[in-house]
Amino acid sequence: MASPVFTSEYAGATRKRGPRALRGLPFVLPYLPLLIVFGIAPTIYALDLAFTNVGGGWVGFHNFVRTYHDFRFVSAFKHVLVYTSVWLGALMVFVVGLALLLHGRANKVSATFRFLFYMPGALAGSAAVLVWLFMLDPSVSPGSFLLHHVLGADIFAQSIAPGNLPFIFAMIAFWTGAGGWIVVMYGALNTIPQDLEEAARIDGAGPIAIALRLKLPLIRKWIAYMVILSFATGTQLFVEPQIVQTASFGLVPDTWSANQLAYQLAFRYADFNGAAAIAVDLLMIGLAGAVLIVTRSGLFRTDD
Amino acid sequence: MASVTFESVTKSYGDGLRAVDGLDLEIADGEFMVLVGPSGCGKTTALRMVAGLEDITDGVVRIGERVVNDLTPKRRDIAMVFQSYALYPHLSVRDNIAFPLKIAKVPKDEIRTRVDEAARILDLEPYLKRKPRSLSGGQRQRVAMGRAIVRQPAVFLMDEPLSNLDAKLRVQMRADIKKIQANLGVTAIYVTHDQVEAMTMGDRVAVMRKGELQQVAPPQELYDRPVNIFVAGFIGSPAMNMLEARIERRDGGVAAVLGDARLDLDGHSFLAAYDGRSVVLGIRPEDLEDATIAGGDGGARLRGRVELREALGSEVLVHFTVAARQAVTEDMRELAEDVGDDRVVGQLADGAQPASATLVGRFSPRTRAVEGDAVEVAVDQQALHFFDPQTGLAIRGA
Amino acid sequence: MRLRALGLGARLAILMTFAVFFVAPVLWLVLAPTKSDKALITNSPFSFGDFHHVALAWKHLDAFSSHIYRRWIGNTLFYAFSATAITLVAAVPAGYGLAIGKFPGRKLVLSLTLVVMIVPAAALVLPIFLELNAVHLIGSSLSVILPFSFFPFGVYLAYLYYANAVPPSLLDAARVDGCGELQTFLRVALPLAMPIVALVFFFSFVADWNNFFLPYVVLADSNQYPITVGLWDLLSATPSFNPSVGGGGQSVNIFKPELALATLVAVVPVAIVFLFSQRALVRGLVGGAVKE
Repeated sequence: MASPVFTSEYAGATRKRGPRALRGLPFVLPYLPLLIVFGIAPTIYALDLAFTNVGGGWVGFHNFVRTYHDFRFVSAFKHVLVYTSVWLGALMVFVVGLALLLHGRANKVSATFRFLFYMPGALAGSAAVLVWLFMLDPSVSPGSFLLHHVLGADIFAQSIAPGNLPFIFAMIAFWTGAGGWIVVMYGALNTIPQDLEEAARIDGAGPIAIALRLKLPLIRKWIAYMVILSFATGTQLFVEPQIVQTASFGLVPDTWSANQLAYQLAFRYADFNGAAAIAVDLLMIGLAGAVLIVTRSGLFRTDD
Repeated sequence: MASVTFESVTKSYGDGLRAVDGLDLEIADGEFMVLVGPSGCGKTTALRMVAGLEDITDGVVRIGERVVNDLTPKRRDIAMVFQSYALYPHLSVRDNIAFPLKIAKVPKDEIRTRVDEAARILDLEPYLKRKPRSLSGGQRQRVAMGRAIVRQPAVFLMDEPLSNLDAKLRVQMRADIKKIQANLGVTAIYVTHDQVEAMTMGDRVAVMRKGELQQVAPPQELYDRPVNIFVAGFIGSPAMNMLEARIERRDGGVAAVLGDARLDLDGHSFLAAYDGRSVVLGIRPEDLEDATIAGGDGGARLRGRVELREALGSEVLVHFTVAARQAVTEDMRELAEDVGDDRVVGQLADGAQPASATLVGRFSPRTRAVEGDAVEVAVDQQALHFFDPQTGLAIRGA
Repeated sequence: MRLRALGLGARLAILMTFAVFFVAPVLWLVLAPTKSDKALITNSPFSFGDFHHVALAWKHLDAFSSHIYRRWIGNTLFYAFSATAITLVAAVPAGYGLAIGKFPGRKLVLSLTLVVMIVPAAALVLPIFLELNAVHLIGSSLSVILPFSFFPFGVYLAYLYYANAVPPSLLDAARVDGCGELQTFLRVALPLAMPIVALVFFFSFVADWNNFFLPYVVLADSNQYPITVGLWDLLSATPSFNPSVGGGGQSVNIFKPELALATLVAVVPVAIVFLFSQRALVRGLVGGAVKE
C-alpha cells in the first residue's frame, strides 16, 4: 500500500502551492490600469489638491475655508441640497408608488406603462434639458396651462425664476431617471415569493395593506440603493443648470450649483485647489449620505 | 485504464478543519469503487482531489504509477460526471459530447465516429441536435455520461450522478451505468450518500465518515462483518437495531442479558472477556422473525409489544418495544443527527434511556402481529453483532 | 365589487397621469420639426405640420457652422463605440476573474471598484483633466475615449453575474474536459455571459453617449464635441432663447424647430440601442444545462 518511495519524492512538494493560487488574475489585468488611472489616482489627486496650494505645499483646511467664504459658496450648496432633497423625495414616493401600482396583475398593460415611463431615459443629459426648455416656454409648451397656474409664469423668463429652479431641475432629473428605477423596483418586487402574497391575502390583507406592509418592507434594500446612488449623483448637478444658464442668457448665474462653482474656479480662475476642495466637499456629502442611509435602513443587516 | 491510489491523503482548510484525513485507499485497474457516507464525510472532496479540482494538502494521489498531485485536470486523463450534470447550455447535445475531443484537437471524422458511438450506447441518437434545456433529467444525465465515455479516459469519476432523478429512473440508470463501465472496463470511482446505490453498484465499497475511511470491502462483507458501529448502522435498511446487553458467563457458555430477556449464545466464547460488562448488541431487522412463523424450539427469543406495523407486500416491518435499553454511544448520537432522526436524538440526549427500546423486524407477510399485540420474536443467533461500547469496534472471534 | 372597480379606476388614472407626464414632451419633440417656428407658437402643441418643414429644418441645421452637426454625431458614435469596445474587453473578463478568482488582492480590487462607483464622477473630472494634460492628451479623442472606458459598474455587473448565475461545476467540467483557464473563459464562460455583455454594452454606450461634463471640460475645439456638448453649443448660438444673439443670428437659421430636430436626431442612436438591447437580453440561457 504505502510505498516508502513516495516520501522522499515529495517530502516538501506536497505543500507546493498549485497553479490555482493566482487563478483569475490574468483576466483582471486589462481592467487594472483603467481602475488606477481613472478611478484611484484621480481620487487621491483630488484629495491632494484640496489640501495643498498652487506650489504643492500643505495647507491643511485652508482651501476649504477659503472656498466656504466665497460669496457664491453657500447659495450654491443650498441650491444643490434643496434640489437633492426634492429629487430624492420624488424618487422615493413616486418611483416606489408607481412600481407598487404596476405590480400586480395585467402584465401586458404593466409592461406598456413601464416602457412609457422608461422612454425618456434615452434622453438623459443635455437633450432632456433642451426638451424641457421648450416645455417651460409657455408660448409653445403643451403644459402652458400648468405653467400659468402652478408657476404663475406667462413667459419663459418667469418659468425659470430662481425660486422655481430646484424644483424644475428635480423634475427634469426625475423625468429621465425615474423610468429606470421603476424597472429596477419592479424587478425587486418580482423577487417576492408568490406564497407570501397569497398568505397575506388569506390573512385578510387588502391590496393596499399588502403593498404597504408586505411589499414595501421587503424591497427596503433596493430603495436604499436607489437613494444612495441618486444622492451621490444628485449632488453633482451640472448639466441642467449649465444649459438653463445659457438659455436664460444671464438670468441664471453660472455658479448656481456647487459643481458649476468648482468648474468656474478651475477654468475661469485657474484655482484648481479651490475646485478640488469643493469636489471633496461633494464627495464627503455623498459618502455621509450613504453611511446615514445604510445605518438607518439596516441595509447590511443579515438576519432577514 | 489505470489504478488509482490514495497514499495518506489529507485535505485540510485554514481553520484546521480536515475534510479528508489520512486516506489510504487502493483502487484496482477496472474496478468500480463506491465512496459512500453521510454528507460531510469527505467523499466528494476525495473524488475532486483525484480530478484535480481540489488541492491536496498532504499525501500523494497516483493514477497508475504517476503521481498527479500537481497536475491540472486536463493532464490527468480522467473524465467526470457531475452531480448537476454541468452540461454546456449553449451547445447542442452533439457538441456537448464532442467538446473534450475538440479541445484535444482530435480530427473531425474521428470526433464524429466517437460521438455517434457514444450516442448509440446511451440511446441519445434522436437528441443529438437538441440543447440541454429541452431535455428531461434522465436524458441530461446520459449526455453527461456520453461526454465522459467519449474520451476513453483512464478513470471515470462520478459525483452522485443519480441523486436528482426519480426513484424508478434511478434504478434503471444504476444498471446502465454498471453495464457501460463493465463493457468499457474503465476504472470508476463513484460517490453517493445512498447506501442502496453503493451496495448494488460497487465491486468494493469504501465507507467514510468525517474524513476518515471506516471500512473498504465488497458489499456482502460490509453487510456481514461491519468493522464498527458506524458501518453497521449505515449499511442496511432499515438500520440495524442496537441494544445494550450485559454479558454473563454461565457454565461453559455465554449469555447476553437484555432487560428481562436472556439470550444463550453458542459459539460466542470470544465474548467471555466481557463477562459482567455491557456491550452493544446489534441485530438486523431481517434477522428477526415472528416466532410463530419461525417455528423451531425455544432458541433465542425476545418478548415485546407491537407499536407499528408497516406492510410492504413482500414483508411486514414490525416495530415492537422490548424491555431492554437502547444502546447509546457517541456514534449513535451522531448517526441519529446525521440521519435527522429528531426523536432519537431527543431520547439519547436525555441521558437516562427509558428501559424500553423499539426494535424493527422484517417479518414474513404471513405474520399476524398487529398494533397492541404482544409478540414473541425469534432471533437468529448466528447473525448477532457485538460491539465494544467504548471503541465502537466489532468484537470478533479470533 | 364597486370598491374594487373604483380602486382599479383610481390606479389606472394615476398611471395614465404619469404616462402623460413622461410621454408628452417626447411626443411634442417628435412633432415639433414638422412645424415652422411660428406654427409652434400658434398651433396646438400636438398638431402635425408637414414633412416639408422637417426637410427645411434639417437644411438649416446642417448648414450651421459648415455641417458641424454631422461631425458632432459622428464624433459621438466614434467615442461611444470605441469606449464601449474597450469597456467590454476590460470589464467582462475582469468581472469573471473577480468572481472565480482566488488571487491575493481580489477583495481589494472589488472594494475599490465599489467605492469608486460611489465617488461622484464629477469630482474626478478635474483631476482626470490634469492627468490628461500632463501626458499631453488634451485635444485628442483619447482624452474622451480613455476615461469613458473606465466603467466600474460594468465590472460589477459582470462580477455579480459570474458569481451568481454561472455554476462553478460548469467551469470545472470545462477544466476536466481539457480546457486551460483561457479556453474555459472563451469557450464556456463568455458564451454564457451574452446577456451581461448586452447589458454592459447598453449601459456603457448610453452613458458615453449622454455624458456631458467630461467632454465639456476636456475638449476645447467645437469640432470635436460629442452631440451632448454640441447641443449646448447650438443653443448658445440660437436667437431662440437669446434674443441678443442678433449679429450671429442673421446667417444662423437655428430656431425652435431646428433645435427640436437637433435634439431628436441626437436621441435616435440611443433609442435604437435601447431597442436592440431589449431583444438581446435573453434570459434563461443557463437553464436546463444544470439542475438547480
